[in-house]
Amino acid sequence: MIRLSPTLRRCLAEPRVRVGGGLMLALLLVALFAPVLAPHNPGEQDLLHTLAPPAWTADGEWSFALGTDSLGRDILSRLIYGARVAMRVATVAAFGAALVGSVLALIAGYYGGWPDWIIGRAVDVWMSFPPVILSLILMVGFGAGLNNVILAIIIVDWTRFCRVVRSEVLAVVKRDYIPAARLAGFSHLQVVLKEIVPAVTPLLLTLVSIEMGIAVVVEAILSFVGLSVEPSVPAWGVMIADARQYMYEAPWGLIVPVLGIFVSVLAANVLGDGLRRSVDPRLAQRLAVIR
Amino acid sequence: MLLEVADLNVTVRLAAGEVAVLRDVSFTVEAGRILGLVGESGAGKSMIGRVVARLLPAGFRVDARRLNFNGEDLLSVSPERQRALLGNRIAFVPQEALSALNPVLTIGRQFEEHLARLGVPRRERRARAARALGEVRLAHPAELLDRYPFQLSGGMCQRVLIALAFSSDPALIIADEPTTALDVTTQAHIVTLIRGLQRAHNTGLLFITHDLRLAAHLCDEILVLYAGDVVERGPAKMVFGVPRHPYTRALKRATPGLTGPRLRLAALPDVTPGVAALGGFRGCRFAPRCPIADPDCAAAVAQLVEVAAGQWVRCTPRCAAGEAPLVAAEEALALHAGQEHGALLQLEATAKIYGGSRSLWRRGRAVAAVRGASFTVGIGEAVGVVGESGSGKSTLARLVMGLEAPSAGRILLEGEDVTLPLPSWRERIRLMQMIFQDPVSALNPRRRVGNLVTQALEAKGQTLSRAERHERALALLRDTGLPEELMPRFPPQLSGGQRQRVNIARALCAEPRLLVADEIVSGLDVSVQAQILNLLLRLRREHDVALLFISHDLSVVRYLCERVIVMCGGEIVEAGPTEEVFAAPKHPYTRTLLAAVPPDDISRPWPPEDGMAPLGDE
Repeated sequence: MIRLSPTLRRCLAEPRVRVGGGLMLALLLVALFAPVLAPHNPGEQDLLHTLAPPAWTADGEWSFALGTDSLGRDILSRLIYGARVAMRVATVAAFGAALVGSVLALIAGYYGGWPDWIIGRAVDVWMSFPPVILSLILMVGFGAGLNNVILAIIIVDWTRFCRVVRSEVLAVVKRDYIPAARLAGFSHLQVVLKEIVPAVTPLLLTLVSIEMGIAVVVEAILSFVGLSVEPSVPAWGVMIADARQYMYEAPWGLIVPVLGIFVSVLAANVLGDGLRRSVDPRLAQRLAVIR
Repeated sequence: MLLEVADLNVTVRLAAGEVAVLRDVSFTVEAGRILGLVGESGAGKSMIGRVVARLLPAGFRVDARRLNFNGEDLLSVSPERQRALLGNRIAFVPQEALSALNPVLTIGRQFEEHLARLGVPRRERRARAARALGEVRLAHPAELLDRYPFQLSGGMCQRVLIALAFSSDPALIIADEPTTALDVTTQAHIVTLIRGLQRAHNTGLLFITHDLRLAAHLCDEILVLYAGDVVERGPAKMVFGVPRHPYTRALKRATPGLTGPRLRLAALPDVTPGVAALGGFRGCRFAPRCPIADPDCAAAVAQLVEVAAGQWVRCTPRCAAGEAPLVAAEEALALHAGQEHGALLQLEATAKIYGGSRSLWRRGRAVAAVRGASFTVGIGEAVGVVGESGSGKSTLARLVMGLEAPSAGRILLEGEDVTLPLPSWRERIRLMQMIFQDPVSALNPRRRVGNLVTQALEAKGQTLSRAERHERALALLRDTGLPEELMPRFPPQLSGGQRQRVNIARALCAEPRLLVADEIVSGLDVSVQAQILNLLLRLRREHDVALLFISHDLSVVRYLCERVIVMCGGEIVEAGPTEEVFAAPKHPYTRTLLAAVPPDDISRPWPPEDGMAPLGDE
């Protein structure tokens, strides 16, 4: 039998983690295997079948399961390919922000003193900018493009990680096992990597999962206004923008990508909530008492 | 008869079924008398206070043949009547004084709330409160009323709570370990105070404690509890003087004495069973740890039988008749060898001053935690450091270990200067290791036991194979008396004693020459403390390791250490061979410390009646 760590076992026993994690995994697999799963090329135009309704309606055809858009492109295929953009932004931006934020948090929390002061003030200044304005300014500066969207999300959202992780690091550093590790001969780097990082990882995973949902929404907003991917690339924001003009005649073109965003954010939040419940010992205890 | 409890049973419903956490407990408290409830954690002693206050959480079922207060049945009185009784006729003194007071209200406010409940007119409340604080010998009571709890010391908070408890002139006071978190000198003051007030008001007192010796001095009658059973009861002097039950005997012999010959502590094996394990017992719950258990013990629970005037014991007929032999003959430990040691560790006028630096906003007040400490620890020698909380003992340990840099002075290890900051870290930790006070905090909950004890091997970056590391971990577990099965466990799955052993095993991994131990037995039950002390004795003998043992408990220091250092306010006030210092203390502070410890000889009056000056700023 493989021995799982108690934290991991508690996580997997939590239904929210199973549901949220399962949905997230499904989305990632869809994104990964999009070329295999999609019935059509997402850019392929079929001008004979524009604005076709979904297959289960009276005029629907099963070759276009979710119907087509104004240029006759298959909505299902575009939805599947759109997941690639969404998931790429979600994973890279969330992990990037987590990396930047937590490295700074570890430095601030472990060393204290003036590094802590500088990083703390930087976070304060950063958070005084409204995030939407900051990201729009950044996008205007960088220019459009998917990589720039990712960069903008990282630059705006690292503070979210830095603040929370730092306070967790401070709590861990106060425990006697940190000086004990120093006395066992660990270098400072070893102490951070082997003692502190494992202790903050559960919290970090919770934050990453929630950040993934945020990143999906931000990407959709920016691609909606045309600051993200090129118009030819299928992305959920682009799909919404395209379907907007025909939303009364063909609502499915709008509803489907919105559902895509909805499910991604739901998965991220449910997973984050479940992780938080199972890794926060105080919350776990309280719930155990109630049960 | 003030409080009469007959056949009290408390059961709790667990996943495995119903478990009796208190079985057939009967006692009475009379006006002006003190009853001691003695037992280790898990004995169910605090449960009794909660039953009287009806504060048990859901899932607990209470039934009793009688639970009367002044003739009123406490189990059937109306909630209104019960509220009228609690805090008024029946008062409580809790253990954690600081957390029992509301931190955001002044002492005066909290007092006035209580007095308002008692129906004292508004105009009189402040004067009454000041008078009550004066009664518990707090200096400047009027000023104290405007202070907040965190501005007072633990001893002062406990006095405030005692004043609150006595302010309604209750008939019965239930004190749950009121002195456990306090220093010995403060404990002596609090005990004197409680006894003085109790006598003056003719109050009945239910005193709950884990300390048999303290109970023997303070109480008229004692009830010894083990895992929910009353194992022995009787007049305090008799129970402590001639304990009959093997558990009471073990409790008495588990704490080392301050005088007389140094006897090896007869440590009980194992620990008190937890609540979940209680369901598995059909007979005596003490049987698995009992040195004189016979096969019948596991089959059925014995009755309480009267063995002497008023002394009752729940044990086998042979034991009750006093025929059961003491299994282990009392073994006297060799006197500490007085030979000359070569110096291992030397401190020269080492000091640590906190604060005093200027920041942008304020100028910090400098506080000297340790001032001009100079002493030597010889090779293989055990040196004890004693003093009250705030005397700088723990700072001294951190300075020695290099976890703090000293503000002044030098630290020499085998004649070499290792004062921080110097690149001497590796050398330092090869020669000395620290056992931390709180094993819960000192053991990373994410590492397995086998991994924890060999952490030092991981750090060296040696190319050590898994098998070799496993081998070393096994040897360390054997050395510290831990079973092999614990290797893959995580610290939260261990008992307190096991965790402390893991803590010790880890310190031994690098085979240091000096172990620095900071209050490592203070959080443990006495029977587990005895196990750990004997373990340290054995390790010293087998590994020839020196020990710098920091403790507030003088008798423990006497048991382990040949030399002792007494600290007060950051300064070393006295140092010398333990026996000499304890037999003929020169410094008045050492004398105060020694006098505050309850002596083994219960015919000697304790606490000392002198030196009870009003307590101001401690």
